[in-house]
Amino acid sequence: MSVDGIEIHARDHDGFLREVHSFEFWFQSVEGYLADHPYGVDPKAPVPDLEEPERDALIATLSTYCVGEVAALDGSSGMIGFAPNRHSKIFLATQVVDEARHLEVMLHRLSELGVEDAEAGFEARANPNLLAFRGRLMEFVEAKDWEASIFAQNVILESMEFAAFHSHMQSADPRTAEMLAGVLKDERRHMGFGENDLGRHLEQSPHARTRLREIKKELDALVLATFEDSQRALGTPASERTAVGKLYLESVARLGFAK
Amino acid sequence: MSDFLNAYSIQTWLESCPQGYLEHTAFGHDPAVKEPELILDNPTMREDSIGSTVQLVVGERAALAASSGLINSAPDYASKRFLATQTLDEARHVEIFTQRLYDLGVKKDELEDVITQHANPNLVKFAEVLLEKVDKGDFVAGVVGQNIVLEGMAFSVFEMLQASNREMNPKFAQTLSGTIADERRHVGFGENRIGSLLIENPGKKPEIERMQKEMTYHMLATFSDSFADRSGMEEARRLTREAGGEAKHQVWHGTDLTSADPEQMQSVLADTVLGEFKTRLARIGLEYQAPAQP
Repeated sequence: MSVDGIEIHARDHDGFLREVHSFEFWFQSVEGYLADHPYGVDPKAPVPDLEEPERDALIATLSTYCVGEVAALDGSSGMIGFAPNRHSKIFLATQVVDEARHLEVMLHRLSELGVEDAEAGFEARANPNLLAFRGRLMEFVEAKDWEASIFAQNVILESMEFAAFHSHMQSADPRTAEMLAGVLKDERRHMGFGENDLGRHLEQSPHARTRLREIKKELDALVLATFEDSQRALGTPASERTAVGKLYLESVARLGFAK
Repeated sequence: MSDFLNAYSIQTWLESCPQGYLEHTAFGHDPAVKEPELILDNPTMREDSIGSTVQLVVGERAALAASSGLINSAPDYASKRFLATQTLDEARHVEIFTQRLYDLGVKKDELEDVITQHANPNLVKFAEVLLEKVDKGDFVAGVVGQNIVLEGMAFSVFEMLQASNREMNPKFAQTLSGTIADERRHVGFGENRIGSLLIENPGKKPEIERMQKEMTYHMLATFSDSFADRSGMEEARRLTREAGGEAKHQVWHGTDLTSADPEQMQSVLADTVLGEFKTRLARIGLEYQAPAQP
């Protein structure tokens, strides 16, 4: 599996700032795929009749995704207070509502699968490596460390979600796949912001790359362990488990953070 | 509780706000309407408009910092999701009022200097009191300060501004219509969610009432400063007289905004906001605390 052909982000600096850091741009972006799609899905799309093991696996997977989305929601909202300029604050505000929407559509899909009080249960089913990742991200945010926060949130976490959702879409039922397709479109915007912001920062402060490399090493271990645990729980053969991790590493590399 | 919070979901927000009353607008208004030349060509009117719009930007920046800062301390996921919609609403308000400053001729590289020059120090203090609670992760105090006090003030200020600009500046009045609709939702959430949390945490009431008192003092001082400068209002009325027309009477809470003097305007605004505070605070089990007279 590869991200070839998926245009994560390609914009010149001025065009990027002018276009993406506004409510207007956000609304024009999301309206195309959210109009008439309550909870991210065409209401006419049939509800698939899943076998119990398949249903249980999907519930476990969506629960893990919910934990990731809560991390992204807490992270992006926490960063607004110390974002370096108004444009970044406004972009992050659009990201906050995206992340909250992702959480909401996933909880809605869980309720469609028959999970009662989906909010109450997903934390308990969370992968410990993902919880550790969330803890580390929030440490950066609480320290008001913009460089580390934007890297952990908009490069690492978004790439992790991108890889997981893109892989899952290939085998998901049509309702779940459509929901994930909308989420992926948002993630691309978020990754583009991280890439652009950090790209500019690293031009000014090339020495920061050494620090980001250390953070990446630490977080990569948590991301790959999360993937490994999740794939094992889903019964994926050992030979196929590395695919999603590879896609994650490729995504991060495309954003300019190969090592 | 969950049934009430369903009304504040992202889906409901999407359908009612961006896909509802904001559809076919740009920066909150019909793209075809512009700032009137009457304002752009008159230095006194333009400067007065810049001064009042800066206060809106300052207030909205505080609201953006507060609503986003409260998400991490929210006690349930539904409240987090509502605050996410509020965060984007407030960011939009920052954007549209900043855009108005540009429309009034403020240059992009001068924006922060213009804001610093015009920001009312009492309004800055008002924001600091609120953000101190938010920074401490005090969700209950933060929501009372943000969704009852700040939003309650903003709601009435926007209503009054909208009434007084309906004839003279339809663009600004339209911009304010969307923000009023947003603020109504925010105030509703504050009332509904905090009542139950205060029942669970009765010991927090004195501290929250102190915060309300302090914020109210700075709010009233801001009003006092704002209405002390009569130049913009007098110039607008002079221009209307010169044009030979008679302004349509705009009555807001019993006061004719086209003929009232600044003291009457200040009085009706303060009375309206304080009346709203008393009602809304009582609904959540708090007693309004009157501050010293600024």
